[in-house]
Amino acid sequence: MSANVSSKLSAAVPAVEIRGLVKDFSSGLRGLKLRAVDHLTLRVEAGQVYGLLGPNGSGKSTTIKALLGLLEPTAGECAIFGVPSGRVEARREVGYLPESPYFYRHLSGRELVRFYARMCGMGGATLESRIDEVLALVGLTAAADRRVGTYSKGMLQRIGLAQALVHDPRLLILDEPTAGVDPLGTAAITELILQLKARGKTVLITSHLLGQIEDVCDRVAILDRGKLILEGAVSDLVGRADRQALVVEALPENELAELRAWLAARGRKLETVETPRTRLDRIFLERVGKKDA
Amino acid sequence: MRAGLRTTVFVIASLAVAGMLLNRVAAPAWSAAREKQPALKLDSSMTAAGQGVTLALLGGFRALVADAAWMRMFARWEARDLPGVETLIHVVSAIDPRPAYFWMNGARIVAYDLPVWRIEAAGGFEAVTKPVQERIRREQAQQALRHIEAAMAFHPASADLWIERGSIELNKLGDLAAAAESFRRAWEQPHAPFYAARLHGELLRRQGKKTEALAWLIQLHPLQPPDPEEPKADVVLARIRALERDLGVPPARAFQPAR
Amino acid sequence: MNTVPFSLRRALLIAQNTLLEAARQKLLLFFLLLALGLVVGARWLRDFSFGAPELKFLADCGFGAMAFFGAALAIAATAQLFFSEIENRTALTLLAKPVWRAEFILGKFLGVVAVAAFFCALLTLLLMAVLRWREGELMREFPEAFAQGGVVSYGMVALGGLLQWLKLAVLVALSLLVASFAQTQLFTIVTGFFVFVICHLQYLAQDAYTRAGSWFAQNVGGGLASVFPNFQLFALADSLNAADAPPTAHVVRVALYAAGYCAVACALAVYCFRKREI
Ligand SMILES: Nc1ncnc2c1ncn2[C@@H]1O[C@H](COP(=O)(O)OP(=O)(O)O)[C@@H](O)[C@H]1O
Ligand SMILES: [Mg+2]
Repeated sequence: MSANVSSKLSAAVPAVEIRGLVKDFSSGLRGLKLRAVDHLTLRVEAGQVYGLLGPNGSGKSTTIKALLGLLEPTAGECAIFGVPSGRVEARREVGYLPESPYFYRHLSGRELVRFYARMCGMGGATLESRIDEVLALVGLTAAADRRVGTYSKGMLQRIGLAQALVHDPRLLILDEPTAGVDPLGTAAITELILQLKARGKTVLITSHLLGQIEDVCDRVAILDRGKLILEGAVSDLVGRADRQALVVEALPENELAELRAWLAARGRKLETVETPRTRLDRIFLERVGKKDA
Repeated sequence: MRAGLRTTVFVIASLAVAGMLLNRVAAPAWSAAREKQPALKLDSSMTAAGQGVTLALLGGFRALVADAAWMRMFARWEARDLPGVETLIHVVSAIDPRPAYFWMNGARIVAYDLPVWRIEAAGGFEAVTKPVQERIRREQAQQALRHIEAAMAFHPASADLWIERGSIELNKLGDLAAAAESFRRAWEQPHAPFYAARLHGELLRRQGKKTEALAWLIQLHPLQPPDPEEPKADVVLARIRALERDLGVPPARAFQPAR
Repeated sequence: MNTVPFSLRRALLIAQNTLLEAARQKLLLFFLLLALGLVVGARWLRDFSFGAPELKFLADCGFGAMAFFGAALAIAATAQLFFSEIENRTALTLLAKPVWRAEFILGKFLGVVAVAAFFCALLTLLLMAVLRWREGELMREFPEAFAQGGVVSYGMVALGGLLQWLKLAVLVALSLLVASFAQTQLFTIVTGFFVFVICHLQYLAQDAYTRAGSWFAQNVGGGLASVFPNFQLFALADSLNAADAPPTAHVVRVALYAAGYCAVACALAVYCFRKREI
């Protein structure tokens, strides 16, 4: 019974709650303050994939650091699964991939993941198999015994994901996971996020490339110079209910004129006619994917 | 900024309080360590500060650096560079005052070699008048004695330094009384060689204090170690007999050795 | 609520990782080779030999190398291993795990202290070997000077090594305290070096204030002087002669003194580091 109550409770508790967060940095010049985050209030429900978007310098990383207790907020409070960020307990159920991560160069990939796993209190017989599992998940099995110092940027991103995932946290925070990663890597990360979502995990992801994570997010918030300017479900924000697009085989000029007339007779108007273009990254993915297979 | 200041004050105050308590913990060990390392005991603050800095900067390397300076001193000595040798002798002992070797050999060079160089530089033994030669010799001997005095601050219980002092007083100043006193002090130090005591008696005799010399030798006789070359020889007894003869001691009251 | 208690195990994991990093970064190797070269080379540095004092000279060189390169290693390794975490942003990932900042500081401290222990132990063993070899040579050369057998007390050499290590541990703790609030590695290294020198002169200030006589000078001045530990205290075993061995109680007191400074400096490092922005 108590398990039932607690699960109901945890369902009600948001994965992330940020209330009135303000963070000022004192820049070198005397007295001058730079407000990186300006009265930000956010709520990420458990099980969602949440995108925190905004241009460079809009305060996304600062928000995440405050949420993880790595920065002391100037004002406001943050909590993870209801535990205030200042407390060590808040970080127990979190996996974090920092922006352009850089790890202990002297360790091999496997040693690195093992180190972080043990820091999370893991150990015993299951540890090694779990390490193999996450290394396979991020596709680094072959490079697992190489020094991290020799890894490429994309590999660093993937080993960063492995350390964030190794203790199977309920919340995953990814800061710019696709920055500087090739389309193949981006697709893999997108795929991984969807898998995690399917397993009921909460994912908080930031990006300055707004289009890139649009496809995977349930909700997004857009920051600009530290202020929240837009927040909502992706389908609400981008879908336009009063418009429809038809894709047909190429129509000759005369048939197109007929169609316009047909529409005009019903009081409708054909707004745009264009040739749909596939996206370059999709072509890239198709070609490279085929070669690999 | 104000928070920074508060943190700084808190850190310094905590360390100060902790340090005062910990000083109490270490106090007995510290006074013992100090007792063993005379360089840490110096009272004259300039020398002490100098020693402190050398200790800090060189630590155990003092030995190495002093050694290198000593080698350079020898090179200067071969070139008969008087100011160079004088300076380096002091530098060596300042860097590493622990080996008595440096102090003693330094004093010897100052007392025995430097006067010869000075006289030769002034034109040689022919040209320089006797009184001037005498003055130079005295000056150098005085300087060597000051060097030994400084050494004694670091080696308060060194018989060798007292012997060296007595030798200079005897050979270079001809001061029998001072030399006799130095050899007596040498004999009081631990591990003193027996000849220091015998020399004290001998110098008493040469000063004409024959009664005192006789008394000294009589109380010394039982302490005489056997001579490894001639175990039968009894030098002290021979001296006692000679003094008894000089003083006209009747045979009945003559000294009777225990064995 | 489920709490995450302070865990020595995590601190030890961080220490182990720090030690591994030092070992793989060749920082340790560099200082070790330098010091080893000196200890072995000392035999040929002295051209004139005068029997037993030469052994003391060798020991002085060995401990000199241990003190000097050890201090350089302690300061540089603390600064390097601490700032590599901050500058490479590995601390970001580490402290985003359920890890106390106190565990991080303690882990760094133990890691560098282990590096120092390795350094001192290796040099002490090597010094013992060099002394033993040279002692044998000298015994054959001047048998009369060694009539009572060997003159080197290897227990004293080991004690000397132990005291050097205790001193380095205090230096590591103080360097870590500086690093915990310093903005740059260079500042930490320079400050650490000054702290090292001041700690050797501390006893002079202490003496001056004790002599001063006034209550104010004795307590306020003396207190300020005791901000810095007295490093001369660790010269307790500056001899090769077993007869000069300090009593065990004194060694214990010096160890407590070192442990006390380490604990206070580490606690203050945690205090300064607690709110640091990573
Ligand atoms: N440690 C810091 N000190 C001073 N300014 C900072 C610091 N960290 C970030 N900033 C500033 O805060 C603003 C927000 O930065 P950040 O959160 O990194 O943006 P984003 O992640 O959205 O690109 C930027 O203007 C940045 O220059
Ligand atoms: Mg960012």
